[in-house]
Amino acid sequence: MRKTWLRDYIIKRLFYAVIIAWGVLTITFLLVRLGPSSPADKYLTNLAARGEEPTQAIEAIEARYGLDKPIYEQYVDYMGNLVRGDWGWSFSTSMPVTGLIKAHWIYSFQLILLSTILAALIGIFIGIYSAVRQYSKTDYIATFFSFIGISIPNFWLGVMLILLFSVQLGLFKTYYDTSIPLLSLANLKQLILPVVTLGTGMMAGYTRYTRSAMLDNLRKDFVRTARAKGLPERTVIGKHVFRNAVLPLVTIIMFDLGSIVFGGAYLTEIIFGIPGLGRISFNAIFADDYAVVVAITLISALLVLLINLATDIAYAYLDPRIRYD
Amino acid sequence: MTKKRIKRLAGRVGGIKNLILIPLAALWLLTLLLDIFVVEKIFTPLGYLYIAIGILALIYVVWPLYSGRRLVDYYWQRVKKNRLAVGGLAFILFLILLALIGPFFTTDPTAANFEEKNTPPVGFSIEESVYHAETGQFITKATSGTWEHPLGTDNKGRDLLAMLISGAGVSLQVGLLATGIAVALGTLIGVISAYLGGKVDNILMRFTDVMMTFPFFLLLVFIIFIFGPSLAFIVLVIGLTGWTGTARLIRSETLSLRTREFILAAKALGASDGRIVLAHLIPNVVSLIVVIATLSIPGVILAEAALSFIGLGDPSVTSWGMILRAGQQSLDITWWVAVVPGVMLFLTVLAFNFVGDGLRDAFDPRSSV
Amino acid sequence: MKEVILSVKNLKTYFFTKRGVVRAVDGISFDLVKGECLCLVGESGCGKTVTALSILGLIDSPPGRVVGGEIFYDSTDLTKSSAEKLRHIRGKEIAMIFQDAQSALNPVFTIGDQIVEQIKLHLAVSQRGAKERAIGLLKEVGIPSPEEVAGYYPHQLSGGMRQRAMIAMGLSCDPQLLIADEPTTAVDVTIKAQIIDLFQKLKESRRMSLLFITHELGIVSEIGDRIVVMYAGRVAETAPAAELLKNPKHPYTSGLIRCLPDITQEGERLESIPGTVPSLVNPPRGCLFHPRCNRAMAICRKEEPPPVSISRGHTVFCHLY
Repeated sequence: MRKTWLRDYIIKRLFYAVIIAWGVLTITFLLVRLGPSSPADKYLTNLAARGEEPTQAIEAIEARYGLDKPIYEQYVDYMGNLVRGDWGWSFSTSMPVTGLIKAHWIYSFQLILLSTILAALIGIFIGIYSAVRQYSKTDYIATFFSFIGISIPNFWLGVMLILLFSVQLGLFKTYYDTSIPLLSLANLKQLILPVVTLGTGMMAGYTRYTRSAMLDNLRKDFVRTARAKGLPERTVIGKHVFRNAVLPLVTIIMFDLGSIVFGGAYLTEIIFGIPGLGRISFNAIFADDYAVVVAITLISALLVLLINLATDIAYAYLDPRIRYD
Repeated sequence: MTKKRIKRLAGRVGGIKNLILIPLAALWLLTLLLDIFVVEKIFTPLGYLYIAIGILALIYVVWPLYSGRRLVDYYWQRVKKNRLAVGGLAFILFLILLALIGPFFTTDPTAANFEEKNTPPVGFSIEESVYHAETGQFITKATSGTWEHPLGTDNKGRDLLAMLISGAGVSLQVGLLATGIAVALGTLIGVISAYLGGKVDNILMRFTDVMMTFPFFLLLVFIIFIFGPSLAFIVLVIGLTGWTGTARLIRSETLSLRTREFILAAKALGASDGRIVLAHLIPNVVSLIVVIATLSIPGVILAEAALSFIGLGDPSVTSWGMILRAGQQSLDITWWVAVVPGVMLFLTVLAFNFVGDGLRDAFDPRSSV
Repeated sequence: MKEVILSVKNLKTYFFTKRGVVRAVDGISFDLVKGECLCLVGESGCGKTVTALSILGLIDSPPGRVVGGEIFYDSTDLTKSSAEKLRHIRGKEIAMIFQDAQSALNPVFTIGDQIVEQIKLHLAVSQRGAKERAIGLLKEVGIPSPEEVAGYYPHQLSGGMRQRAMIAMGLSCDPQLLIADEPTTAVDVTIKAQIIDLFQKLKESRRMSLLFITHELGIVSEIGDRIVVMYAGRVAETAPAAELLKNPKHPYTSGLIRCLPDITQEGERLESIPGTVPSLVNPPRGCLFHPRCNRAMAICRKEEPPPVSISRGHTVFCHLY
């Protein structure tokens, strides 16, 4: 009985996710078309700056972007292209956008992955400890530091770390070196500062949320029952309490993703010169390369959608109470 | 207009406050439209935002606070006990004072003075390789800070203290206005959604979901990229993209309040008038709105700072993010230009977080303050 | 000679809070004989639950602490036992079940899992053996289709079923003593009767000792062998059940009995005991009940009443005697 319910729920959520995805694509399209200068204009300014002849280019662009067609036809074309995998051409790098993304996604991925793992492991652990030993010195210190961690602007933290460790102490290079192979220790070394930058804010958040979720559950009656059964304290906390605390934690983590993680990764990439999708988008902004900016904004939104979906399903699996309504 | 007719009209729009809002809002809109189409430049774009938020704040924040003085005083007593919150409040007041009065005591932040570039703050000194025109060689010259530029200057000779004060003004304005817009919009959508329910709720919440799917900062960057950076516009955009969290929270709180016993009790006592029910609902939501607003301000300030930092801020305005950017670009020489604005941002965010947490604890009847 | 398996001597449990020291339990003594059902009766807040929790060392240790007295189980003083020893006793020798099964059971684990967990903790059985034993227990407490129910989560069961499931969990390791903290309070009237019947059946079939905590005198008369009446953290009166109900000596006890609505009497106003329970932070001197007692004397205001033996097994703490 449980299995089929889960499957139905997944299908329902997938369907809903598709609707949201459609909403995202549509809003992006509207924003672009509502803008004062069309993609064509920006490209043309670029051309003019380079001293090339615009008229042929104008026609080519209009044909390519379909700007001569009525807006609903443009919309249909846009949707069609996206779905088919034609995400446009990046003139600033002379590559198809999809190619650009393929070349650079790995850098963003490794940064976000490492930061999340670091933040989650340390943050959750400290959060649990803090909650169990509430009011102790460790708790106060941990709470204090997590407060600081949340309040520090992460881009400033990055600059400060560079100032201290690269400029003054000379321990790290100030710029990310792409020639170093990804799966090497040297790569790990040059990722230390960026990961700390991105991870600190995340870790502070994890500590705070875990602590509060644990505290909420430590007061509940079933904890007393578990102790009355004779269970050792570590089982009471680690199994009974944690399993309940995980539920709100999962929701909050997913909620944070869009606002903190992606935004933070964007800034971190720019500061440290890591050629991930954030930095690529940033370069494209100053080159007026519309296609790239649109594409990366879309990708980030769709990723958030995917992760939300996964989290929802995970939550449904973890919390038996919502399953049998 | 007899008193009775006014009361009935008020009942239909949901309260006296809404009744007063409508003509004021219409007037504002009219002025705005006149400005756009008849091209008169009555107010600056920022000015319009100020007026709009000001009207909303007066009707929905200041007026309730004044009429509920005793309650406000009760809560204030509770907040006072939280030293961190009081400290935060003091810092914020200091910032406001700085932003308002500071510009009268300092030089123009945008005045570039290449003679005095790269001077460190008071008490520090740096060594630089400077080309000495007379001898035609590079000599190391030590520059130390002077009281003329107590916080030093950047690599274009602009006084850092003056820049910081200007930045304080920018951050506070953005924080106040953009949060005002975001919270107002979020509350409106949340309350409408919860109150009307059904299809309206469905559509509004789907729309909220879509907007929430965009990572906040990336969406900001995207929109600024398309439309261009000007301070008023940045404020508007932050407000128009940051309402989603508020909408969700307000909606869920309103929904839960509707079914709570004290509302049912009020109804049982004969208060079936929608207006009175709103008079019971709103005070409970107001405390939530205040907490949300206070805790949103840091995010807004950081968003604007981040935008300026990466170069998408308003270039005609000196904001802390912009200073940080300048500092980062010449990090090996003028490191103080990177350190100080960050410290200010950090302290400001900390202050608002402390105050917000203090308010939240004060409003929560279960927490012993 | 009857064997006493639990002996509580002058137990004192205080809670140290910001507003003062709450003397939740201030000198309670009673003995529990093997195979009997002893009922702890009293109003909410009189310290019944705290007494029970103190026995198993389950008092939350910032604010609360057992500050005095002894609790002898099987010649071991539980107040002085190590945490390790207490853990071995909990769930195996002495088991406790709680008032609201909905919140007392962990919502994210199945009933079966929670029972099996306890079985495997204390008894050396395999997973399969534990599961079978759990199903057997569910059957014993009267749950239909126990195999299915074992796979259910707490929220899927009705109130009565949940209570039975919790009882099953309490019984899972064949405890010598079962402490039941108001097991019928959070349950409908019809279910109440069923639960009481279940307890009676279990008491007989398992020859188990039962410490039954409740504020309902009606239940006490059905299931109790002996009753301890508590008031504001102290004992008011102790007696065998029939004797107490027929011959209550303490004014509080007689007041409680009078409060029970009598279906045979027509048109009478419901009786109540005037006044409220005293603050446990700053208890008044003398007998704690004197402000509400209609037979209070001068001495009641000054001195704590000593125990007076009325008859065999019947002790009262009152200056009247």
